[in-house]
Amino acid sequence: MNEEKTSASGKVVGVLLFVLGFAGALVLGYLVFPNLLYSQKLQPLNFSHAAHRDNDCDSCHKFRPDGTYAGIPKISNCKECHESAQGNTEAERILVEEYVAKDREVPWMVYARQPDNVFFSHAPHKGKGVECVTCHRDVTKEEKLPPMREDRITGYSMTTMEMTECEKCHSAKGVSNNCEVCHK
Amino acid sequence: MSEKGHAQSNIRLGMVIDLDKCTGCGACSAACQAENNISFRPDESNKLRSISWMYIYQLDNKKDYPDYKIAYLPRPCMHCDADHHSPCTFVCPVNATTRDENNGIVTHIYPRCIGCRYCMVACPYHARSFNWWDPTWPKPMTSMLSPEVSPRMRGVVEKCTFCHHRYNKARAKAYVDGTDPNKATYNPACADACPTKAITFGNLLDEKSEVAKLSKDPRAFRVLEKLQTKPKVYYLSKQDWIRNLADNSLT
Amino acid sequence: MQFAAGAVGGTLLTPLPWKLADDSAVWSQNWSWRPSPERGEITKVPSVCTLCAGGCGIQARLVNGNRAILIEGNPANPVNEGSVCALAASALQFLYAPYRVTQPLKQTKKRGDKTGFQAISWEQAQTELSKKLEEIRGEGPHTVACITSSRRSSMDDLWAQFFNAYGSPNLFKMPSECDASKSAAQLTTGNSSTFAFDLENAGYVLSFGANLLDGCAAPSRASGALRRWKKDRYPVKIVQVESRASITASKADVFLPINPGTEAALAMGIAHLMVNGANYDAYFVKNNVFGFEDWTDSNGKKHQGFKSLVSSSAYTPEQVAKITGLEPAKVRELAKEFASQPKALAVWGTGRADVSNNTYHELVFVALNALKGNLKPGGLIGLAPKAPLSELSAQKDILSENSSQQPRLDLAKSQNCPCPQNGLYGFLDAVSSGPKYPIKLLMVHEANPAHCLPENKLFAAAAEKVPTLVSFSSFMDETALQSDYILPDHMALERFDDVIGIPGAPYGYYAVSAPIIKPLLDTKHTGEVLMKVASTLGGTVASSIPWKSYEDFLKFRVEGIAKAKAGAVIDKPIEISSIKAGDPVTSNYSDAADLFKKLKAGLCWHDAPSAVTFDKTTSGKLELACQSIGKNAQSSDDVIYLPHFAPLKPSGSESEWPLLLVSYSSPRVSCGYLANTPFMNKLIPDSMLAGDELFIDLNPQTAASLGIAQGDQVKIKTTQGEAGAKANITPAARPGVLYIPRGMGHKAYDEYIGNKGVNACQLMEVQLDPVSGMGTVWATRAQLRRV
Repeated sequence: MNEEKTSASGKVVGVLLFVLGFAGALVLGYLVFPNLLYSQKLQPLNFSHAAHRDNDCDSCHKFRPDGTYAGIPKISNCKECHESAQGNTEAERILVEEYVAKDREVPWMVYARQPDNVFFSHAPHKGKGVECVTCHRDVTKEEKLPPMREDRITGYSMTTMEMTECEKCHSAKGVSNNCEVCHK
Repeated sequence: MSEKGHAQSNIRLGMVIDLDKCTGCGACSAACQAENNISFRPDESNKLRSISWMYIYQLDNKKDYPDYKIAYLPRPCMHCDADHHSPCTFVCPVNATTRDENNGIVTHIYPRCIGCRYCMVACPYHARSFNWWDPTWPKPMTSMLSPEVSPRMRGVVEKCTFCHHRYNKARAKAYVDGTDPNKATYNPACADACPTKAITFGNLLDEKSEVAKLSKDPRAFRVLEKLQTKPKVYYLSKQDWIRNLADNSLT
Repeated sequence: MQFAAGAVGGTLLTPLPWKLADDSAVWSQNWSWRPSPERGEITKVPSVCTLCAGGCGIQARLVNGNRAILIEGNPANPVNEGSVCALAASALQFLYAPYRVTQPLKQTKKRGDKTGFQAISWEQAQTELSKKLEEIRGEGPHTVACITSSRRSSMDDLWAQFFNAYGSPNLFKMPSECDASKSAAQLTTGNSSTFAFDLENAGYVLSFGANLLDGCAAPSRASGALRRWKKDRYPVKIVQVESRASITASKADVFLPINPGTEAALAMGIAHLMVNGANYDAYFVKNNVFGFEDWTDSNGKKHQGFKSLVSSSAYTPEQVAKITGLEPAKVRELAKEFASQPKALAVWGTGRADVSNNTYHELVFVALNALKGNLKPGGLIGLAPKAPLSELSAQKDILSENSSQQPRLDLAKSQNCPCPQNGLYGFLDAVSSGPKYPIKLLMVHEANPAHCLPENKLFAAAAEKVPTLVSFSSFMDETALQSDYILPDHMALERFDDVIGIPGAPYGYYAVSAPIIKPLLDTKHTGEVLMKVASTLGGTVASSIPWKSYEDFLKFRVEGIAKAKAGAVIDKPIEISSIKAGDPVTSNYSDAADLFKKLKAGLCWHDAPSAVTFDKTTSGKLELACQSIGKNAQSSDDVIYLPHFAPLKPSGSESEWPLLLVSYSSPRVSCGYLANTPFMNKLIPDSMLAGDELFIDLNPQTAASLGIAQGDQVKIKTTQGEAGAKANITPAARPGVLYIPRGMGHKAYDEYIGNKGVNACQLMEVQLDPVSGMGTVWATRAQLRRV
């Protein structure tokens, strides 16, 4: 009887413990772990894409004549409008005083940076009609740059696309998945 | 997939090297080293340990002075087009080296390579080199490394890629310019460098290309043709002794 | 227990374990110690290569405008047409070399002690140099000397301007193949220029030891010529005459093996048969050549002419065969072929771009071409035209005026050669052996005589006698290491420089080499150091060198071309060799500023070839009898005026030194001021170098007679020195002759460059040419034994 009781309450406790452990693990795995794994680094200054909505995307994110993609623009590009401060935000001050005036490049961290052995060209993707937001976050209304989240083990950005993603899309679209298409 | 092996596109990138014009000056090899971040060591005299994608073999006619003659044979990767597989791609246990059936380039991906060196054994042309050591550069020289080719690491095999990064770039430019990327042309670093313009590069299947015409020249031959590896690198020479050597073995 | 099970179960449902596994796999491929090349925009910057005298157009690839990653050929340049050589392809290994001198240094201990170099500021370096020069100037400015590069650039003229204004005649250039050509052109045509060869348009090329494909003075142009010769239809026949089965010999259709240094004898033999068979351009010779027939000098004395000399029994095919080692029939066959080919050209050389030739032999080859009519207008030989750059004229004060009474040190001997030229050897000899006056300060610019001057011990001996040695080298080379001060110049890719003409090319050529990148280190353009020193010295020295930057100086020079409205800039690919002498070249620049802008952008300037003119000689003809040789002659024999075979016998007896040692250059080994690069080390064949041991090439017969097997350790001993090496047995070598490659055996630099093999210069014997006083190098007597 005692035994039964114990076993019955033991079962309940056991199940409870199991559920607790299970839930704890889920919390740990889904909520705590990512925060532990990824560091949060702030960009050197804030950039509001929303504030630049009047410009075309490709007035800053453009192709070079040799077919390569310039990605994040250089300070010379910023300088075209921001030779002097265009407002009185902190970011504007940092941009003009620290970078434009000193003609230094802003050390932006790239959210989608691929390792050295990867060759990626925007040209064929854009040429085949792939939208920017297929791979990148939608920035059209973004006021504040998100922090850069870097994997503490691998050093990769959280939003770096993995090879499997590339391959899936390539095979779905019937594009070659040969190694040298994306590796150098 | 056809009887002949993999489905093939109408692009087969290949090379023709005129050995009667080649002076063995080494410009192709030096340009290749600079273009492809090839590492070097203080002592490069042991050629079994020296990494070179474009190695220049010295051939001779085995005669006595003064009938003795030398010739040079620059050897890139032959990018063999044998049915189904190239010798190296056939043996790779991890698919690190494959042939791109869209253009015929045999590629080798370093992070995938496990360094077993089967491919080096399989290659009848000794076109592959192994990184016995971590590549190191004396301090300021890391500044001349190209971002277009990834530096290697210890324990992987490397070889000539026909400068496929230049091909990818030429295709990207075609997309931006709105031209047909399958008609994009480029030259590998060696062909650009050659002072006697002995190296011609292009699409062997494009009848109008210089390289296609030269590959059908009566002077044209390939090295070790009897092995049926179907190299996409052709050589030209009028001299019989050179042509005869090519079919037997490299010195 | 249950908690753990739940935790495990839960964990397995979260990404945690999978992500960790994946991450560790990715991490294991991170190789953090492997360099990650910075990415960015890749641009191309055009310039002109100044690593050798070849004058190739290059372009550099830069990442983000500040990191050079590749040097390639500039397709717009007509000389190299987009190609590069191995040296230029690895040029960035000089720019980013670990052995560069990063700032001015002063030796505080014994010369040659690396630890004794103390870093000083440019301020101090220039002040101390100026002070020394000022002190010496008061005591006699002629006691300052300088050795510069043999490459032709405006830097030569700036040095000359400085030395003229300062008041010293002792400015010397490193030896070059062009020196002898200059002497020959001076003697036969009265022009101070060099002979130029229309290689591209020749229909038959007979090369007397010209190392066209073995690292000659203008390698790109020679390669371009080879490409044209090897065309599919009607290829040009090439005949190579030399002792070694070299690359050029192998590329030639016919290789004629001869005893080393006897090329001129064969040329005389051919001339003999042409003259005796009346198979020469008699019309040209009759109307345009002086001294072919017997001649009379201004005193009315009769002399023998070339015709009677060459047709004498001394140059019969049998005699020539004896000297050269060829069969008499071969000599006859060659003479017949050369005489009958309509566009046959005879070219010649020493086999090494940085060694001068014997003047008489130079004259022999000129004579052979004259018989062929190659020197007439529109012929295959012309004179290298000069770009009409602004001339420099130095102002002199009392000090420089007084010291100009002092003879140049190499000429200060009681007995002199009749046509003195760039007498570096005479100078070094004089300095080391109780000179007429001491040298108190010796500067060395873009040269490394301590290593790459044949018989380099002569430099060491001279340097010992000089209290202050200043090097302007960008690199810690052997000469810099021995210096008291190093005032490092920018590396070639970081500075303004120019190329005045291409050695041996018939067309006019001028190009400006603009920097491709900002200087990386605390270095300074030597031209600008001279300008600074001159302004400190003040007076006429300062006013003779009024420029503030080297770019300004080049702008001034280019003004001369613009003023003359000469030539044109090449802005689209052209076949430069199709321009003939006298063809109009219409200028395509508006003014000097426009011209300089175009040149700075990497375009080159060119002008039509100039035919050989004879109006400067006393006879108004091409002089095969060179009357000026008679001036200080010690012999009254008529042959001294005429081209003839006059070998300079190597010292030592044949019985004691049974073998001959000949050095050769290879396009894969840099053998001048610049050392080999690590990239080029990969190109060195394993039959040339194994570890730190150099191979000496010898014929199987020679090896058998000495009991030497392939790869044996040997000791080579010459009349000049000895060294250990390995034996490479090859039929490329002539029996009885040993061959050693140039450019190896560096002692300075770093582990990638230094201590590889033997320096050929320490084994070679230099002999002074009796006509020009220049050092010539052919063969050195040697012994070889197994150890």
